[in-house]
Amino acid sequence: MKRFITISLLAALWIPMSACIWWTNHNNYLFSPYDPQEFRERVENTCNDNWKTYLGSTEEYYWFDADEAIKTARRKNDALMVTYIQNLQKYLKCSDEKREEQWDYPTKQQLAKRRQTLLAVRSYAETKLKSRLRSQHALLVMRCNMLLGEHSRNVTFWHTTGSKMIESVYRDMMYNIYAGALNNTGSEQIAGKIFAEQGDWASLMTMFYKRRSYQAIRQEYLKEPDSPVLKFLLKDFVNNAQEAIDADGQEGAIGGKLFIRDISKQEAQQMCQLCQQVVREGKTDVPVMWQMAKAWLEYLFGNKQQAVSDIAMTETMEGTQRMKDNARVLRFYINAAQMGDGKKLDDFVASELAWLGDKTKDEGFFLDAQARITHQVLMKRYASQPVRLLAIEKATGCGEFDLGADTIEVRFLEQYITYATTPATTATPSTAPTPAVSTAGHTLDAYLKAHQHADLDAMNDLVGTKYMRLCRWDDALEWLRRVPIAYYNDKGYAPYAALRSWDIEPWIQRQWLKDDVVYGDGRWTLKGNPKVTFATLMRQLESTAALLDVKARCQRSYDLAIRYAQASFRGDCWFLMRDGKSVTDTVRCHETDFGAKALALLAEAARSSDVTLRQRALFARCYGELHPSWWYRKEWNDKTIDYDLLPDSRSSQYQAFAALDAYVRQQPAATYVSRCDEYQQWKKLKK
Amino acid sequence: MRDHVLWIFLVLLTLTGCRQGQETTGTINEGQSVYYWRTDLHLDSTERAFLRTHHINKVYCRYFDVVMGDDGPQPNATITFSDTLPTDVGLVPTVYITEDCMHAPHPGLAEKVVRRICQMNETNDLGPVTEIQIDCDYTARSRKVYYDFLKGIHYQLSIINCQLSTTIRLHQLSMPVPPVDYGVMMIYNTGDPGKFMERNPILDIRDVVPYLRWLPDYQLPLAAAYPVYSWQREIHGVRIEHTVEADDILRVKTAVESKRPELRRSIITYCLDKENINRYQPETYEAIYHH
Repeated sequence: MKRFITISLLAALWIPMSACIWWTNHNNYLFSPYDPQEFRERVENTCNDNWKTYLGSTEEYYWFDADEAIKTARRKNDALMVTYIQNLQKYLKCSDEKREEQWDYPTKQQLAKRRQTLLAVRSYAETKLKSRLRSQHALLVMRCNMLLGEHSRNVTFWHTTGSKMIESVYRDMMYNIYAGALNNTGSEQIAGKIFAEQGDWASLMTMFYKRRSYQAIRQEYLKEPDSPVLKFLLKDFVNNAQEAIDADGQEGAIGGKLFIRDISKQEAQQMCQLCQQVVREGKTDVPVMWQMAKAWLEYLFGNKQQAVSDIAMTETMEGTQRMKDNARVLRFYINAAQMGDGKKLDDFVASELAWLGDKTKDEGFFLDAQARITHQVLMKRYASQPVRLLAIEKATGCGEFDLGADTIEVRFLEQYITYATTPATTATPSTAPTPAVSTAGHTLDAYLKAHQHADLDAMNDLVGTKYMRLCRWDDALEWLRRVPIAYYNDKGYAPYAALRSWDIEPWIQRQWLKDDVVYGDGRWTLKGNPKVTFATLMRQLESTAALLDVKARCQRSYDLAIRYAQASFRGDCWFLMRDGKSVTDTVRCHETDFGAKALALLAEAARSSDVTLRQRALFARCYGELHPSWWYRKEWNDKTIDYDLLPDSRSSQYQAFAALDAYVRQQPAATYVSRCDEYQQWKKLKK
Repeated sequence: MRDHVLWIFLVLLTLTGCRQGQETTGTINEGQSVYYWRTDLHLDSTERAFLRTHHINKVYCRYFDVVMGDDGPQPNATITFSDTLPTDVGLVPTVYITEDCMHAPHPGLAEKVVRRICQMNETNDLGPVTEIQIDCDYTARSRKVYYDFLKGIHYQLSIINCQLSTTIRLHQLSMPVPPVDYGVMMIYNTGDPGKFMERNPILDIRDVVPYLRWLPDYQLPLAAAYPVYSWQREIHGVRIEHTVEADDILRVKTAVESKRPELRRSIITYCLDKENINRYQPETYEAIYHH
C-alpha cells in the first residue's frame, strides 16, 4: 500500500540534479519534533492489519499478496471481495509501472493500454459505491482518477462521495488523494493543511520546497497559531540552520543533503524572537516545540548560556511526547556540553545515555542523535580520560571507536581491554584504570562496562601492532601470537601481505600490484602471521647487531633500513603497521618515524669501507619516500601556466643528493645511479 | 552457434528504434554543445535564444541515472519530456552511472541501457538515436568492469552505426583509453569542496595543469567540457558563491588547447540553464566556444 503515497505528489517533484553528492558523518539533524514516517507507517500498518484479519494470518508483519487474498475470498464465497481484489491488482500494476523506474520503459501502446485499464477499473468501481465494500471501491475510483490525471474529478468525487464514507484508513487515503488533487487545481493552502494534519511530510516538502523561510513561518503562525504546517516548516528551518553551521565548521561535507536551504544568522535571530513571542502569547498547544527550537538556534549561533536556560524551561512545557523526547535529546546535548567536569556530569551522561540507548531501538532519529552527541560533545568532554572515552565510543557504536583505538597510547588500549572484559562491580573509582577520572564514576562505568563487546582478535592485533610501531618487538610478539592467521586472511590488505616482500630495496625496485590482483575476487591464504614473522626478524636483526664487527654492522644497518623503509606508511609493506593506505597519511602519534629511522641506519651504512655498500646507502638516502619533503618546492607560474620546480637546498633529500653527487664524482657511478631520472633532474636544477 | 545468431537477432530487434547510416569512425563532429541536466526537458525563451545565438548543434541530455539497487543496477530519476528541442539541434542521450555499479560485472546491463534509451526516444517521439554518452567517475577499481560495459554498449551501437562517447575526468587521463568513439574531457569539479577557501572547487588551473601532460598522447578523439554553473552557500549571513570567472575558464581553455589543439573544435558547456546564461556576457560564451 505504500505505492499509494508516493504516487500522489512526489511524481511531480522537481529537484535540480547533481551528479556528485558528498555524504556526511556526524551532522545528523537534532531538531525532530515528529516522526517523519508517521502517515506512511500508519496507512501501511492499518491496511496490512485489515488484510491479516480477513485472511486470518498470524504473521507478525503481513505484506499484501493479491493472489493469496483472492484464494481466501473464494474460500469464503466472497465474490465481491474477489472482484475488488482483481481490480485492485490491475490498478496496482498500472501504479507500479508508472512509479517504479523499470528497465522496460513503456511503449506508446503500453501507455494507451494502461489508460484503458484504469478507465475500466474506474467504471467497475463506480458500480460498487453502495456495496459492502463501498469505501474500498470509492478509494479505487479516486486512485484511478489520480493516475489518469483527472484531479478536478477527484475534488468533486470527494465532496459528493468520499467525504460521506465512514472513518477508516480508506477514507484517510481518499482524503490524502483529495489534498493532492487540491494542490494540482490551485488550492495549495488547504492541501498543505491536510497533508500536515495527516503527517504526509513527503508531500509537504514537495509543496513547500521553494517557500521555506522565517517569513513563511511567521505568516503561517499569524494566520493560525497551531497550524499543522508549522511543525514541518519549523523543523525544516532549524535543521537548515544546523546544516549551515555544520558546513561552516566543516562538520558536514558541503553540498551534501537534499532540500538544503542556507539560513543566515540574522534570519535565525528573527526566528528566535518569533519563538519567544509564540511561547509568551500562549496561543499554541505545543510551546515545548518553539522553546526547544529557540534553545537549539541559540546554541548553534554561539549563545550557549542562553541556550542552557532556554532548554531548561522545556522540562515543564506542554507538547506531544515526541516533542518532549526531542527536547530531552537537546537537553542532553546542550547540558553535557556546558556542564562542569565531575560526578554531576558523569551521572548525567550515564542516565541520558541509558535513556537514549533505549530510545534508539524505537526510531532512527535517536540513533542519529546519539552519534552526534557522542562525536561532538562526549568525545570532547572525556578527551582527558582515554579509557572511558574509548568505552563511550564503543557503547554508542558511532564509528569513532576504531580510529580512537588506533591512535590511543598503547598502555591505555591495554587498560581498555581490561576495563571492557571485567565486570562492572570490580571497577571501583580507586582501581579505575584511567587517569584524571572523577573519583565517583560508578554509574557511568557501570553503564559503559555493560555495553562493551570487544573483538579480542582485533584488539590483540592492534595492541601488537602498536608495539611494532614503537619498535618494541618483544612486547609486540606477546600480543600478536594470540591472533590466528584466519584473521589476517580476511583483511583487505591480504593480497599485499601475500605478494609483497620486505626484503626488497624499495629505492631499487617498487612492488606494484595490478588492479586485477588487488580488486579481483580471489581469496588469499597467508602462509603465516606476517606481523609475527616481521617482528621476529626485526628482533633478531637488532639484537644481534651489536655483536657484529664494524663492516658487518654497516651491512646490518643497511638491511634494517630496507625493512624499516618497507614497513613505513609510505613503503610497500605498509600493511604491517596500518590497515589501509592513503596519500594523505603522515606519521601518527605514538608511532616511530620509520622513514627517519631508515635514513639514520643508511647514514651508518654509508660510513662503510665497502665502496659498493657505501654508494648503495648514499643512493638509498636519496629515496623520496623516506623524507618529510621533496628536494624541490613547486611554485605556480602564471606566465608559463605551469609549476616551476625550485630546488630547496635545506631539505634533507636535497642534501642526500648532494652527498651522492659528491661521492660519484670520486668513484664510478653504479648503473642504478647514473640512470636515475630523479638524480639527473636534481643535477640539472641544483643551485 | 544457433544461440549466437539468436542473440544478434535479439540485439537487432532491440535496437529497431535506433537509426542507421550515421558515421562512427571514431571522430567527433565539430561544433558547440551543451549539457542539459534537469529532470524535465523544458526550455524557456532565454535558453532557446541561447541555442540559436551560439549555434548549438547538440544537447547532451541526461536521460536517467543508473544506481545500485537491492537487485543490482537500476534506472533512477528518469527525465520527462515536456518540451522538444529546436529541430536543428541534436539530442544526445546521456546516462550517469554511479561508480559502485561498476564494482562487479552485471551481465545484460549494456543491453538494458541501450534498449531503454531507444524506447524513450520512440515513446516520446524524439526520433532515432544517433549517439549515446555514458558518464561515470570510474576509478582503478571499477575501470575494467566499466570498459567491458562500454564494449557491450559499443558493440550494439556499432551494428546500427550509432556513436558512443564517455566522459573522462582529469584523473582518468592516466588510465588506458576507454573503448568508445570519443571522450569528453570534463574540465570541472577539479577541486576539493572542503577546501573552498583555498581554491575554487569548480575549476582552478593549478588543479588542471598536473594532468595536461597526458593530453598530447591520449589515444582517443576528445571534446572539452567547461563549467558555467555556480555553487552557492550562505554561512553566518555571508554568501559564498562559487562561480568561475570568465578569464579563468579561458585561461584553462588556452592551456588545454596548447597541449591538444583539436580540443578547440568540439566544445561543451555544463550546463544549459537560464541562470548560467545570464551569469556571463555573451562575449564570454563566444570566447569559450571560439574555434
